Amino acid sequence: MSDVRARIRQQVDGNDVVLYMKGTKMMPQCGFSSRIAGVLNFIGVDFVDVNVLADEEIRQGIKEFSDWPTIPQLYVKGEFVGGCDIVTEMTLSGELDQLFETKGIPFDRAAADKIREANA
Amino acid sequence: MAVADTMRERLAAAFAPTVLEIVDESEAHRGHAGWREGGQTHFRITITATAFAGMGRIARHRAVHAALGPDIVGRIHALALEIRAAGEGG
Repeated sequence: MSDVRARIRQQVDGNDVVLYMKGTKMMPQCGFSSRIAGVLNFIGVDFVDVNVLADEEIRQGIKEFSDWPTIPQLYVKGEFVGGCDIVTEMTLSGELDQLFETKGIPFDRAAADKIREANA
Repeated sequence: MAVADTMRERLAAAFAPTVLEIVDESEAHRGHAGWREGGQTHFRITITATAFAGMGRIARHRAVHAALGPDIVGRIHALALEIRAAGEGG
């Protein structure tokens, strides 16, 4: 296992929710990254943000790690969940709530409902 | 050949889709990261095909990435995908 693979494995296994993104959760630098970070912030999920723009090795390595060509990428309990489109779809369908529930990740369901009401 | 035409050709060959819309949204991202003069950097694809039935979300996206090929996926900056199997709402 290469070093970068080991680093990523450690990040996603050592933290319940990890978002690989462009920019940071406080200052996203890409609309797609901003959207996932915004959802997680809004529904009160505690997550670790990894800014790929600050680490070229991770920026390339994460694409190989997940066999997924784009960023952002969301991981929950070590498992790849998806990118912006998938996380958006799962938010609106309620599947994201189910995932967090199943994995024991605290979140604010009322806030998630608000997102769905606003996008109904 | 324009990027969108290559995408259309490859997706049509791979999935025989009943719906295939490819929109070059590059102009909406003018000046953003990854944008280049001439556009063809940001795309939105809506595709419906029976081939996607029984596949999970991640598998569907991977299948589309694979059909587009690494040359296309590597040269564009952003790709929004709406993938449905025939008969699915959305």
